[in-house]
Amino acid sequence: MKRIGWLWLVSSLFLSALAATAESRPQYGGTLQIAMRAAPTSLDPASSAVSDSFARRTLTSLMFDTLVVLDESGRAKPGLAESWQAMRGNQRWQFRLRRGVKFHDGTPLTSEIAASSLRLANPAWNVTPERDSVTIECENPNPEMLAELTLSRNAIAKRDSDNKVIGTGPMHIVDWQPGKKLMLAAEEDHWRGRPFLDAIEIEMGKSFRDQTTSFELGKADLIEVAPEQSHRASQAGRRTASSAPAELLALLFARDASSHDEQLLRQAVSLSVERGSILSVLLQGTGQTTAALLPTWVSGYGFAFPADANLTKARQLRDHLRTVPIWTIGYDGSDSLARLVAERIALNAKDAGMSLQPTSSASADLRLVRIPVASADPWIALQELVNELGLSPLKNKAGPAEELFSTEKAVLETGRVIPLFHLPVSYASAPRLRNWTLRTDGSLDLSEAWLGNTKP
Amino acid sequence: MWQEIYNSAIPAIVLKSVIRFVRRVLNLPALRPTILFAVMFFPLAALADWNTSEQQLARKIVGVTGPGTVALTVENRSSLGRRDSDIVQNGLRSALEQVGIHFVKAEQATATVTVTLSENASTYVWVADIRQGTAEPAVVMVSIARSGRSTGARDSMPITLRKTLLWAQDDPILDLAVLEENGAPTHIAVLNAESVSLYRLQNAKWQVEQTLEISHTKPWPLDLRGRLILARDHAFDAYLPDVVCRSGAAASTLTMSCHEGDDPWPIVPIAMNTSSVFPSAGSPATATGAIPPLSGFFAPSRNFFTGVLTPAIGKFSSVSKFYSAAFVPRDKYTLWIFVGVDGRIHLVDGMNDQSARLDWGSDVATVRTPCGAGWQVLTATSGEQASDAVRAYELPDRDPVAVSPAVELPGPLAAMWTEARADSALAIVKNRETGSYEAYRLALACQ
Repeated sequence: MKRIGWLWLVSSLFLSALAATAESRPQYGGTLQIAMRAAPTSLDPASSAVSDSFARRTLTSLMFDTLVVLDESGRAKPGLAESWQAMRGNQRWQFRLRRGVKFHDGTPLTSEIAASSLRLANPAWNVTPERDSVTIECENPNPEMLAELTLSRNAIAKRDSDNKVIGTGPMHIVDWQPGKKLMLAAEEDHWRGRPFLDAIEIEMGKSFRDQTTSFELGKADLIEVAPEQSHRASQAGRRTASSAPAELLALLFARDASSHDEQLLRQAVSLSVERGSILSVLLQGTGQTTAALLPTWVSGYGFAFPADANLTKARQLRDHLRTVPIWTIGYDGSDSLARLVAERIALNAKDAGMSLQPTSSASADLRLVRIPVASADPWIALQELVNELGLSPLKNKAGPAEELFSTEKAVLETGRVIPLFHLPVSYASAPRLRNWTLRTDGSLDLSEAWLGNTKP
Repeated sequence: MWQEIYNSAIPAIVLKSVIRFVRRVLNLPALRPTILFAVMFFPLAALADWNTSEQQLARKIVGVTGPGTVALTVENRSSLGRRDSDIVQNGLRSALEQVGIHFVKAEQATATVTVTLSENASTYVWVADIRQGTAEPAVVMVSIARSGRSTGARDSMPITLRKTLLWAQDDPILDLAVLEENGAPTHIAVLNAESVSLYRLQNAKWQVEQTLEISHTKPWPLDLRGRLILARDHAFDAYLPDVVCRSGAAASTLTMSCHEGDDPWPIVPIAMNTSSVFPSAGSPATATGAIPPLSGFFAPSRNFFTGVLTPAIGKFSSVSKFYSAAFVPRDKYTLWIFVGVDGRIHLVDGMNDQSARLDWGSDVATVRTPCGAGWQVLTATSGEQASDAVRAYELPDRDPVAVSPAVELPGPLAAMWTEARADSALAIVKNRETGSYEAYRLALACQ
């Protein structure tokens, strides 16, 4: 009997907790060295110029705070907001701000700044500051407001006249070289208490290979591990931890289908992809095949979208078409896994009588995209996926599983996106790094991390 | 009125109480037949909840297939145990029969229905995949809110270490002091980050008696620690980093005043060798007059003692920074044990400071018992499943010797202090399963 999802997630996160030595008290001091592939050029949590990524979420959580945070069980807990209440059937939400919180430049957190920050990130919200609280009014009832407020973009930031962003988070910026390096130092007076680490140094834009080299030379304490390498990394004796499958790998068409024939051809492409063999060969068994946008641990029903290849049916569909165009399939040139997957998909399509040409150029008829799942809350996760994919916004934003299923199904029926896999995000850590965990959104939680054998 | 809606944990507390009760009962062999009976019928409650969902799903299925013949398969992909999934499966079959479905083999059926029992973080999701001839497959589903889960614990040397749950709550517990007891505690004080709460056992139920707020201006450190010390001339003192609170004398209503300052924390509670104002709590089971008083300064905004001691131990007025301290009385001196932040154990006798690297945790506590050498040191060791375990040691010379098997804790140890009566220690644990903080009394029994 196959058991899935949440238990798996819990056990994965639990494994990461195992990385911490439970019986020792945390030690203060030391500089944590991190390497990452992402090379963000902005640290502004609301910037639309930088796409969502696990790395971005990690960085945001170090420098900024949100009104609400989620605990390990997914329950909302006070962050910058001490308390809150929902009114008018969840259409209006009022958040009372925590007192005495200061930004890294020493200015106090006010309701005006918090409101302005939320407004920038959510133009559709009517956000008004009051004396010690912020009220958010939505166009429609929003029962998922608390989960939504935990998203990175809703982190509270103060923006000064030269567009510099300042947060209230546990670390402040010491040195920032966009896309290259970020040096953070502990905020002595953080409202949750000073972090154990003195500083965090983050090297950006490092390939998996470079990260591994840094790790082996002792120059990095925490690195990312490519999904297809995660089994090998743990077999090699590295301390690794993986999240639940929290990243969607999918094919995204550049535009809506212009004809019924094109719609059929897209279905044929979907049916031709042998996800199972790609998973076992190229991904080394890491992740899950899928035909759903949301992973099953988030939705509970992902398996209801059949993901098996059906070459016969793909050929039948193709044979109904008068002309079969040659499509280009784009992939990120810096992502070797993406290239291999794209080439394999092209081969599968060829077997079904279609022609896909892999290309690393920016313009392509369809692209292989990797989108991190934003939340364990299924409605928020779907909404954010749809936004990241550039599809029409959801009309419904809450309801039972069946409604969510219908909504997701409707998104898939547009034919714009073909989900392929849900991949975990994996990290390797040096033995001296303790008490770091993976959040359900795949980001690193370093708020209570510490380094062993360092003098306080 | 402003409602703090995040604080709605009462059902969870009730559930945890039930789980705790079941666990406690599971440890009593005499009650096992009762437990078996209970376990057999316990699912009835869930069954009642599931009935509605089974009926809903049955109606949705028949809404697609209409009454008639169906081949049904049920697959469990959730965390439900086999027993529970069988219950659901049977319930679903009954519900389907009630709405006019007859079960037949696939080749005789007008529709095949595959029901998958799945789940996500907050709900069980039961999905029915319905296939009828050449029609497009239809999918219908229902979702049911999930509740908590439970597991058990397990556990031999000359001494046995026993743990007894005294208190559990969602918020972190820094320390707990038993103010009165009559076989078991009846009046306790719990040190929280922002308050000291007094609870009294009345009619077999714990009732909040008073909550005394702790005033402080600076943010607490991340790994907040605190100590609740019973006092001679008033009820108790609460020590937190850079803050000391003093209660009034025991009366029907207690008061408490706090001030900022780095007063040293007592390492040997004075209540160990005298009666407190709460007679039944402070009465030591054994005399501890041989232990000289010792206090240590605690680093503000950190989680360790600075190492500065008062009074000095022989020639040592300070030692390395340390997390916790224990002591073992010798004939002519007391051997002090400090768990240093450098990961070493320092043994200080007033003349020498010897250090060693032992596989000990950061928290140690001394207990006095009628067993073995009479004094044992409790310390955390790595337990199973990323939880901690506590074991008792004796120090016949300078090398510790384990004298008890480890007692597993349900999560990492957050704090461990010697209780006022010195014959037991208090261990605060964050339960890895429930997420709640639990205060256990650790007592030794001779074999």
